[in-house]
Amino acid sequence: MSPKGRVSLRGIRKEFGRFVALDDIDLDIEPVEFFALLGPSGSGKTTTLRLVAGLDTPDEGTLTVDGVDVTFAPPGERDVAMVFQNYALYPHMTVRDNIAFPLKMAKAPASSIDELVREAAAKVRIDHLLHRRPGQLSGGQQQRCALARAIVRKPKLFLLDEPLSNLDAQLRLETRVELKKLQRNLNVTAIYVTHDQEEAMTLADRMAIFLEGTIKQIGTPAEVFDHPNCVEVAAFIGSPPMNIIPAALNGRTLTIEGHSVALHRDPGHPPGPVIVGIRPGSLRIDPEGIPTQLYLQENMGETWLLNLKLGEMIVKMRVAHSERSAEGETVPISFAPGAIHLFDAETGLRVQVN
Amino acid sequence: MSSSRRKGGGIHAGERRFAFALTMPGLLVLFLTTTFPLLYLIWSSFQTINLAMPFLDGFAGVDNYVQMWGDARFWHAIRLTGIYTTTSVVLQVVIGLGLALLVMQIPAGQWVFRIVAILPIVLAPVVVGLFWRTVMLSPNFGLVDYLIQALGFEQVNWLGAPTPALISVIIIHTWQWTPFAFLVLLASLASLPVDVYEAARIDRANAFQRFWHITLPLLRPAIVIVVIIRSMIALSAFAAIFAATGGGPGTASEILNLYAFKTSFIELNFGYGSALAVSLLVITMVVSGVLFYLRTARHPGTKT
Ligand SMILES: Nc1ncnc2c1ncn2[C@@H]1O[C@H](COP(=O)(O)OP(=O)(O)O)[C@@H](O)[C@H]1O
Ligand SMILES: [Mg+2]
Repeated sequence: MSPKGRVSLRGIRKEFGRFVALDDIDLDIEPVEFFALLGPSGSGKTTTLRLVAGLDTPDEGTLTVDGVDVTFAPPGERDVAMVFQNYALYPHMTVRDNIAFPLKMAKAPASSIDELVREAAAKVRIDHLLHRRPGQLSGGQQQRCALARAIVRKPKLFLLDEPLSNLDAQLRLETRVELKKLQRNLNVTAIYVTHDQEEAMTLADRMAIFLEGTIKQIGTPAEVFDHPNCVEVAAFIGSPPMNIIPAALNGRTLTIEGHSVALHRDPGHPPGPVIVGIRPGSLRIDPEGIPTQLYLQENMGETWLLNLKLGEMIVKMRVAHSERSAEGETVPISFAPGAIHLFDAETGLRVQVN
Repeated sequence: MSSSRRKGGGIHAGERRFAFALTMPGLLVLFLTTTFPLLYLIWSSFQTINLAMPFLDGFAGVDNYVQMWGDARFWHAIRLTGIYTTTSVVLQVVIGLGLALLVMQIPAGQWVFRIVAILPIVLAPVVVGLFWRTVMLSPNFGLVDYLIQALGFEQVNWLGAPTPALISVIIIHTWQWTPFAFLVLLASLASLPVDVYEAARIDRANAFQRFWHITLPLLRPAIVIVVIIRSMIALSAFAAIFAATGGGPGTASEILNLYAFKTSFIELNFGYGSALAVSLLVITMVVSGVLFYLRTARHPGTKT
């Protein structure tokens, strides 16, 4: 049996009144993939997930699952399971009844229900809490109960809307790992909504970057991190994200704040203004480099983050403890020409440098 | 530890005495207006007090209650009270819930229904009784009869024939008080969590299953409260029935409260009337006690 759960969105548009929440969304999700929808709050991730779940219908476009058009199919016909941000457990039912509910609705034989519930509960380690009500569970336990309810029916598609956002930091890290393992074991397509890029980077096989109702980039976490295809994505990915610095390009020569840097090769871009992106970790202290002023330094634990004044801009740079300096000092910086990203100043699109 | 607690207890006792002194006037008024009449009622139920035959007055022991035991009109009144209360409360909850579910489907303008729903409630019961007796149910001229005849059915003497009279007073009570159930259940429905219903849709529950497995259990507390409040009121219903049928024809719509009233204030037999009133009081207390017990009892649908 070939794995199922291929999802395709074509030209999806969703409006709420006059507000366009999603515009021309195209997306292909492969079977058994862990796919993240990543973007800031309000960018349309939840709206997309609800369209896939069938809780809403798009104004334009089509949605297919395994080649079948389900654009307007009710949720029950889609064989999906969903974990809601607030879990949406049935408050009047015990954990056992919560987990058993999808089975009962699917008319599973009563004899098998108990076994399946126990199995699902054991997978998320809440089998000792089956008699409790949701109100008697901690946040993490409620989250596990919601997970168990979602996996018990062995759905074709597993939808998760910020499932970790209500957990405390420690629990979030632990659950993240378990979630990934769970999805691997279940062998099911998962669509995972999050605004937390670290979550998306660590969990996802591939991800789509949402900004203001459109998808800016689709790719593996490494692709998106290493080759952001536009300034908006570059300014969003990474913590902190890369420095965005206006510059001028003329052949191979890049001029930043009056200082020229030679690139390895000519990017073939017409002379004129460009935007340079440099990750804080790609900058280094170099006596020959561009002079900046240390404005503020932040302790990040393993490293320090220097906020440097370059002209009117603040540039962030990651350094080791030993490289700290006093505020107000002059810090000359440079970068390897291969470590920068170039974007067209007009369109914001990536210009290939290396 | 223990000594400091004793010390604190001393201060506490002083405070308690002061608090008690403060509440005394209120307690006294409460006693004079509720407890005293109640005690007087119970006392008079053990007396013969008959203004029509004052020469017989005196202590009667349990005579009134013995008489009640053998009084067919009393048992008839109890039966009517049971039918009246059960039927009207069930109708109120069922119709009120149905209307609330319908109104919830309306995306805008629900407030219109809330306002319309309040109207019957704020009318005085006597006005309601008279309104139904004249405008709605009077033979030949009443709206209901007019409609029934227009549809080609036979005329019904709604308030003048025994069974229709009982049905009529039940309808009148239901008409006046269904809005109460409707408003409470509508407010309760509006507060139910949306995402739980979405989860149920994804879990493949159809509309009926969502109603049965989600809505009803979540509404249960509100429904029970409505049933308790409405049962206690229906058991002691009076004014609307009195205005519409006066308990008649004969005793066809004479629930216990009406029988007690008529015995005391029309037949002027206060001793026996008091005994009837006490029996209604006991019934009301037992019924509400049972309902409250059911309210706090564990949800029967949960197994552990
Ligand atoms: N039911 C709705 N009615 C009106 N606007 C909505 C509705 N749902 C979402 N929106 C709007 O659509 C945009 C995208 O929302 P959403 O998909 O929830 O964002 P997020 O990426 O944070 O999950 C937001 O601006 C939100 O205010
Ligand atoms: Mg969201």
